[in-house]
Amino acid sequence: MEAITSYITDLGAAVALPFIIFIFALLLGQKAGDAVRAGLLIGIGFVGINLVIGLLGESVGPAATAMAENFGIDLTIVDVGWPASAAIAFGTQVGALAIPVGLAVNVVMLALGLTRTLDIDLWNYWHIAFSGALVAVVTGSLPLGVAAAALHMVILLAMADWSQPLIEDYYGFDNISLPHGTSAPYALFAIPLNAAFERIPGLRDWKADPDTIQERFGVLGESTVLGAVLGLIIGLLGYGFDDPRADSIAILGLAVNLAAAMYLLPKMVAVLMEALIPISEGAQEVVRRRFPGRNVYIGLDSAIAIGSPAVIAVSLLLVPITLLLAVIVPGNRVLPLVDLATIPFIVCIMVPIFKGNLIRSLIGGTIAMAATLLTATAMAPMVTDVAASVGFEAATDAAQISSLVDGGNPLSGLIVWLGRMEWVGIGILAVVSIAFAYLIKARVTSKREFAEATPEAN
Amino acid sequence: MKRVLIACGTGIATSTVVADKVRKHLKANGIEAKVDQTKVSELHRGAKGYDLVVATTNVPKSVEAPVVNGLPFLTGVGVDKVLDEIVEHLQD
Repeated sequence: MEAITSYITDLGAAVALPFIIFIFALLLGQKAGDAVRAGLLIGIGFVGINLVIGLLGESVGPAATAMAENFGIDLTIVDVGWPASAAIAFGTQVGALAIPVGLAVNVVMLALGLTRTLDIDLWNYWHIAFSGALVAVVTGSLPLGVAAAALHMVILLAMADWSQPLIEDYYGFDNISLPHGTSAPYALFAIPLNAAFERIPGLRDWKADPDTIQERFGVLGESTVLGAVLGLIIGLLGYGFDDPRADSIAILGLAVNLAAAMYLLPKMVAVLMEALIPISEGAQEVVRRRFPGRNVYIGLDSAIAIGSPAVIAVSLLLVPITLLLAVIVPGNRVLPLVDLATIPFIVCIMVPIFKGNLIRSLIGGTIAMAATLLTATAMAPMVTDVAASVGFEAATDAAQISSLVDGGNPLSGLIVWLGRMEWVGIGILAVVSIAFAYLIKARVTSKREFAEATPEAN
Repeated sequence: MKRVLIACGTGIATSTVVADKVRKHLKANGIEAKVDQTKVSELHRGAKGYDLVVATTNVPKSVEAPVVNGLPFLTGVGVDKVLDEIVEHLQD
């Protein structure tokens, strides 16, 4: 048994995952040819991501180290972003189990009436795989990792039910909820902050126009331009300009490499996702047949909320703010890069809680980003270990890596922190998450069901 | 050859699913079209050169091509209707 496990580990995720996906696809009734293609595509996605984060580490790593030496700005942990984090998560042993375990948790909670959300967005089960994989690495125990992933799912489903009425009001999505690991946990910042803002007279009425901001700062939303500009800045700070020939070559090279990484990394993930489509569709069919009827929220990726002008405006402004925070927040060592493009996801549940008010969202977003940077710093050694364990050595040799999503996610951070206390911590997590789900069910979901049953009361 | 742009929050997360379904449906209906993906934050200069935009989220006002709501592809409710709508836009 040990020989088999070590053989699979040595094969690496890029080779092992194609076999797993091939078998899953066959089980879900795909043709052999399609199953082979799906398996290979997932391997290709992995190889691609490894190449690009290798490029990122090699090009940014030395410049960041030089910047630390020149200015004492220690930002030597490279933010490889959600594309790499998702790949790392699915490449682990917990990752291989995340989809069946997550679905089982969802089905049980639906059957018990503990949630109303059916999360058909299987791709995003990588979030529970990520926290689970980190717990498994810290504790050296696969069962603890799987338990952490299962409880992460419980919390996300409860959070989705909690924010659903707000989502429906603000974005106008009928019976859709967002049990999305990237965005849902940030309600924990936004809800108390909004209550506080309601009590501060000046903040209550201060407004700004999202369309003007989008026009003026729109270019910050283009990852390639953003990557090149960041490359120029980091290069200039890192290499200086005392030798114009050599330094200009190094700086311009970094700018183009960084733009390339920002552009290519998401494309590689699209390859991974394409491979998962047949599996995700098959599993969705099976689950949907079991839970027909309108009393279920369909759980989706919060990508559907990103187009809102207020979300885009806040996210654009948070790009320079996050870079500034990275320098001034004491204790931060993460250099924000790839996930600067993911900020819309971090704020898209917060914005409706702040009722679309830009000023409040901006203040709330700034606080959330500072917490995210510190969490990402704390999680970096573990993220780097897990990345190396799935075969992303190229990146991890050059520098420590982390990500804002989910390396900096407060909920993932909390789960991993509890996970370090092994069964005691996981026990506490189990009690808290199930109590939370029950509370949301009693306070939010039941009230709504009552309102639906008696329409005249509305 | 018609050009269709699929837009979502990341240009990957949900648009990959939608692009896959749109490509298959257009092929089955004998419509030759190039289907690209993008994220909404890249759309602030509009979607020049595209005959149709299918979006799973709001698009900026600067987009001049007709926009079809791609949300049904994700929820599974009303997919046929959207597919018909897409075909209608692309037939001359």
